Amino acid sequence: MEQPVQTETSKARSLEELVRILHQIFDEDKVSVDEVQALMESYESNPEEWLQYAKFDQYRYTRNLVDNGNGKFNLMILCWGEGHGSSIHDHTDSHCFMKILQGNLKETLFEWPEKKGNGEMTKKSERVLRENQCAYINDSIGLHRVENISHTEPAVSLHLYSPPFDTCNTFDQRTGHKHKVTMTFYSQFGERTVC
Amino acid sequence: LPAGLSQWFPALEVLDVSGTGLTEMGTELLSLPCLHTLLAKNNRLGGPGSLPKGLGQAPLARSLRVLNLSGNRFSEVPPALLQLRGLRSLSLGGNRLHGIPPDIQELHSLEFLYLGGNFITAIPPELAKLPSLRYLVLCDNKIQSIPPQLAQLHSLRSLSLHNNLLTYLPREILNLVHLEELSLRGNPLVVRFVRDLTYNPPSLQELAGRTVKTRNVPYAPSDLPDSLVRYLSLASNCPNPKCGGVYFDSCVRQIKFVDFCGKYRLPLMHYLCSPECSSPFSSASQSSTSQSESDSEDEASVAAHRMQKVLLG
Repeated sequence: MEQPVQTETSKARSLEELVRILHQIFDEDKVSVDEVQALMESYESNPEEWLQYAKFDQYRYTRNLVDNGNGKFNLMILCWGEGHGSSIHDHTDSHCFMKILQGNLKETLFEWPEKKGNGEMTKKSERVLRENQCAYINDSIGLHRVENISHTEPAVSLHLYSPPFDTCNTFDQRTGHKHKVTMTFYSQFGERTVC
Repeated sequence: LPAGLSQWFPALEVLDVSGTGLTEMGTELLSLPCLHTLLAKNNRLGGPGSLPKGLGQAPLARSLRVLNLSGNRFSEVPPALLQLRGLRSLSLGGNRLHGIPPDIQELHSLEFLYLGGNFITAIPPELAKLPSLRYLVLCDNKIQSIPPQLAQLHSLRSLSLHNNLLTYLPREILNLVHLEELSLRGNPLVVRFVRDLTYNPPSLQELAGRTVKTRNVPYAPSDLPDSLVRYLSLASNCPNPKCGGVYFDSCVRQIKFVDFCGKYRLPLMHYLCSPECSSPFSSASQSSTSQSESDSEDEASVAAHRMQKVLLG
């Protein structure tokens, strides 16, 4: 992605409109990170529009595909029960946008471990993202762990990844060792996927 | 709760009174015969009258399946709650609990137990007597150790232990064959090889007890005082497969690391009957060519492989 080519920022007034504008943006040769982030943040979360994709699992967070962007991006909804969290992971050279649709998520940023490193990974920063906020990360920024730290409220987030990817590395916080994993979808386009 | 609730809505199955500032739930609950789900999170419950008296005799005791009391002010699990025999799902997340009552085992239909975000320091072994428990959340507490009996939770699929004060785990944790999720981050897990050298030599009573057990000296309850009969029944087997010995109170604690393909090391606690005994899970510092030791190593690495998927998942 390069510097912005459009100066007007569009506002998405519904999830459908958000998807439509994203398709338009990604059809261009150059896409601006700032524009996508602003667009995602502009959409005011309306549960009626995304409830069909928000399928929770008792034991861990779920990934529910909403749109596959003609191969240019993946748009998905993640559902986090109370106490659910992810491992520390990278983003396989892709761009990652994460917008909160309901509840709050804590994002902890980590430095990449040293090549020969065998010690505890270094925490860079942490923050709690509120409803409708949109965060951005890519591998040059660092690694992160995302968690729903609430013991009373579930959380729902909207993620855009470009280019799409289905494998990434997870990292052991105590040693920096990494392990490649394949990610799967709990549901696609509102239908539960059974593997 | 409004008076007359059960008269207006006698067929009520789901009641959600979350975020209403409730300080107590009264006798109106007792006359709701069909209620299976009660959500009362984010209130001000926790005082003496929070749950009505006579709960154990009400239809609710058999009909209630789901109870959510998260985000309240409970400093202990109310005894009345333990009378809800039909309960499948209980959440007391984000309260002020300092412990878990052993009588939790009364909730024998429990499948889902959420106790994250409290001040719990220890887990009673009786928690392991819940045969249907699939999901156990103990994250964000002050737990220092896990009782080995927890490995008896045969149905456990997911165990959440992150953000506690654990330095090691009992080796029996590898016996949880159905475990798919295990979170351990945010614990001060020991990373370096530690040998606990404080070995208290066994007492004469212990030495006698060991001999009775290992030599199969026959005895009947009429031969010994009750206290000694009970003592003999508490013998634990030394995990060293070549030893076959037992111990009572005097044992060596030793932390061994189970290696997950060189990528992740989990510190597991073993109790051995004497410093001369060796553990079934050999560490790198001990080399062995015996068949029985490598058999136990295989067993450990199979369990370790399964655990690797769980820990890094």
